[in-house]
Amino acid sequence: MNTKLKIQKKMRQGLVILDGATGTQLQALGMPDGESPEMFGIKNPEAIKAVHQGYLEAGSDIIYTCTFGANRYKLPQYGLSDVHEVNKRLAAIAKEAAGKRGLVAGDIGPTGRFVEPFGDLSFEDAVACYKEQVRGLLEGGVDLFVIETMIDIQETRAALIAIKEVSDRFTICSMTFDTSGRTLNGTDLLSALITLQALGADVVGCNCSAGPKEMIPLIRQMKPYAKVPLVAKPNAGLPKLKEGKAFFEMGAEEFSSFGPAFVDAGARLLGGCCGTTPEHIRMLRKNCDGLKPQPPQVKSIGAVSSHAKTVMFDRGGPLIIIGERINPTGKKDLQQGLLMGKFSLASSYARDQVKKGASILDVNVGMPGLDEKGALREVVKQIALTTDAPLCIDTSRVDALESELRVYPGRALINSISGEENTLDERLKLAAFYGAMFILLPIAGRTVPKTSSERRKIIKDVYVKAGRYGFTKDDIIVDALTMAVSADGAAAIETLKTIDWCNSTFGSKTVVGLSNVSFGLPERKWVNASFLAMAISGGLTCAIANPESIELMSIKKASDVLAGRDKDASAFISFFSGPKGQVPDPEKEVQDKTSKERIYQAVIEGDRDGIQTPIDKAIAEGLSARALVDELMVPAIRKVGELYEKKTYFLPQLIASAETMKRGFEHLAPRLSEEGISSAGKGTIMLATVKGDIHDIGKNIVGLMLKNNGFHVIDLGKDVDHEALREAARKHNPDIIGLSALMTTTMVNMQEAVRSIKDSGLVCDFLVGGAVVTADYASSIGANFAKDGVEAVRVAEYLISLKRNTNI
Amino acid sequence: MTIRITLPGRSIYARLGFKKGVTELKGAQKDKVDKAIDEAAEIIHLKGAARMVNLMRIDAAGVELEDGVLFSSGALAKMLSGCTHVLLMGATAGQNIMDAIAQATSSDNLTRAVVLDAVASEMTDGALDWIMDYVNQDLMRRVQHLTKKRFSAGYGDFYLENQKAMYDLLRMETIGVSITDRCILIPEKSVTAVAGVAALR
Repeated sequence: MNTKLKIQKKMRQGLVILDGATGTQLQALGMPDGESPEMFGIKNPEAIKAVHQGYLEAGSDIIYTCTFGANRYKLPQYGLSDVHEVNKRLAAIAKEAAGKRGLVAGDIGPTGRFVEPFGDLSFEDAVACYKEQVRGLLEGGVDLFVIETMIDIQETRAALIAIKEVSDRFTICSMTFDTSGRTLNGTDLLSALITLQALGADVVGCNCSAGPKEMIPLIRQMKPYAKVPLVAKPNAGLPKLKEGKAFFEMGAEEFSSFGPAFVDAGARLLGGCCGTTPEHIRMLRKNCDGLKPQPPQVKSIGAVSSHAKTVMFDRGGPLIIIGERINPTGKKDLQQGLLMGKFSLASSYARDQVKKGASILDVNVGMPGLDEKGALREVVKQIALTTDAPLCIDTSRVDALESELRVYPGRALINSISGEENTLDERLKLAAFYGAMFILLPIAGRTVPKTSSERRKIIKDVYVKAGRYGFTKDDIIVDALTMAVSADGAAAIETLKTIDWCNSTFGSKTVVGLSNVSFGLPERKWVNASFLAMAISGGLTCAIANPESIELMSIKKASDVLAGRDKDASAFISFFSGPKGQVPDPEKEVQDKTSKERIYQAVIEGDRDGIQTPIDKAIAEGLSARALVDELMVPAIRKVGELYEKKTYFLPQLIASAETMKRGFEHLAPRLSEEGISSAGKGTIMLATVKGDIHDIGKNIVGLMLKNNGFHVIDLGKDVDHEALREAARKHNPDIIGLSALMTTTMVNMQEAVRSIKDSGLVCDFLVGGAVVTADYASSIGANFAKDGVEAVRVAEYLISLKRNTNI
Repeated sequence: MTIRITLPGRSIYARLGFKKGVTELKGAQKDKVDKAIDEAAEIIHLKGAARMVNLMRIDAAGVELEDGVLFSSGALAKMLSGCTHVLLMGATAGQNIMDAIAQATSSDNLTRAVVLDAVASEMTDGALDWIMDYVNQDLMRRVQHLTKKRFSAGYGDFYLENQKAMYDLLRMETIGVSITDRCILIPEKSVTAVAGVAALR
């Protein structure tokens, strides 16, 4: 019996027990701080053998080789270089320890690098790195492989592909999720499961990061969608920090008490990660003795995924929109961008379509004069960085398809595989190897079959051939073929018949390329939308369409409700309701207020666009500009200052009010001038961020607040050296110089700036502030302090009043 | 490396002075702030760099790293006490967000500028948290862990001049960051930091 069958048999018999932590065990056997387990294992084979034996004696069915970091990117950091030899040696030690008592899994961990599209390591380099490790482990005699503690789905895919291309050994894939069910790189549980089981992992699950209590819900969430067994290898609780030292404190008894709950949640392989010991494993085995784990609940699943999102094809659910816009046909700007190697427009199309309701994005870059394979690779890379939507790879070229399926960080949808004899097997083989779903195009010759019955025959033929590669109806979406009604009046009817047959007889999902139906007609959007409504009623699963068409999306939402595919009409209600429900009528509200109230209210509420009209009205009613400022705007901004100080308002509200005030001032400026009111107002303040510091947002806020309170503000900008400051001071003779700094290291430049001004004989007050500046520091350099813009106004007013009183 | 983090909404609000149960934010005002936050998150492309180096010597005045790199800082030395290695890390929010902040400021929309600024600051900080979580994950398997705190040049007695050595060791030019003669990182929302590596018991 080969190893794969042996493991499968073992899983049928009961729970498979894995091993526990290696590092802490080696530490107890003398591994020095900072040394890697791989290096210690090579130098001390007896120690690593003892650890393996400890777990086997405790009841582990499978032990992991001590090769978690034994790849070409990690080993040099540990002082080792021969990847093949290290893996072979450590695998051989594990095999020797196991004898016939257990199986040995070749342990593969992260490279520490990030794989494209999320990092700079090319996918092929990652695959090559893992192949090197896999070959060493195989030579050392491992029975199976385990890819574990992964956070990057792309790196996990690279490792799995490397194993598949070198051997047919049983492979466990385990990623590390936080309690919210996402890896650090943002991959969610479901997307990891869908992607990895489709790609050929024999077991999927999670390890490390969390303790058993936190990991049980993760396994439970995966279970309904898992067609493969699930593995869980939690830590001994979460690490605790005490007096600067970190440690795991969950004992064997408590740890093992979670075993039955794991089995109930759906785990079929259980072990321990960081902080666990042979005792944890022994107790786990004991506590799970006799338990019968559940087999996978599903045999196949219709779902596509990206690195961080899964779309399930639920035939009874709302219609799924596959965004059609990333296609150069008829789009000159996109064509030009692609030819010039600029892919930002494709990213922008991707983002916009997702915002408008596309769940999946079709990507087609086929056009004359373009290296389709290279362009497709780049566009997909850009889109993966822009959105989480799974992709539908739309290309007629097999080489481009293969290149893309290999690096796509999820389970892709292929558009499409037809019944063409010369490409069918090649495309099915590719789809099967990379675990992709595909759109079945019922075309088998040079002409498009006109009738539904002709199409059905091709669908059945292709399905039979796909079955030989392991595909089920869940993996297939049938294109019902949409042709132009302008050319053939029965075209739409034949498409609808095909949808109906797939839905009610054949039992597959369906898709249409919607806009073909209206080709050659005017006002196409109405034809498209009507056809969509009819197709939804017939059970259409998804449509390749433009989600930016309001008519289309509105009809889709309504049709989903009418066809009973939008439960409780919740998607419809959410689509057509405002985000906050009942929206008050702003016009009515303002009509009920006097212009004076509206001016005051505009400043209080920070309504920048709502202050000019009531000002004009108030002036027309005979009020003076000065009265508006003194009796309404200034009291309003002071009230805002109070609200800010009480924290009833936070910074954006304070600034919005200040900007409203500023806009009001600017609108009133000509009238204030006519009324003889000087813009210099209360005094002149010169502001700067000190030498060496480029952080100026705080200074800008202070400037705005001072302007609004009647000060003339001269802003010198940021990183202003002492000479420039002195020159400006000579020129403008300010009442106050305000200096800002963010860092302690640039704060010291305030002292030099103040000294420089004073030494030059200029007389003025200084006001300083910034994240690290304190009142004590300000005082020590002979300056005044303000903690924020509101306080700066108060301090400035005080300093000016002192100056005026002194002058009197 | 490209870093993708969950938008730290709560800390962005906190940075802007929002106090739960005290600050009163009406629907329209909240929508505006949230819209600016979402727009900022869309244009921020976090990139990071990290490097583990040996800690050769440590005394009250500072630390010496491999290749003779010296950091004179008593506070840093105190934080690294008991450590075997040092993790150097750097992150940037990129130039696009700085352009957006400058554009909002120059078009008299300081409200938007302040929100964008807060998002960029928190996300850059979040990127360093992410790097530490990532490294910790790996270290845990090697029975080690990072110090809970990290230290950045420009704070306390760890002078800004040290940023040059960090910049060089991290090769931050590869993630689009430059450094001025005064050791300021450009784009503005870029940061470096040091954390220690100690044994896990």
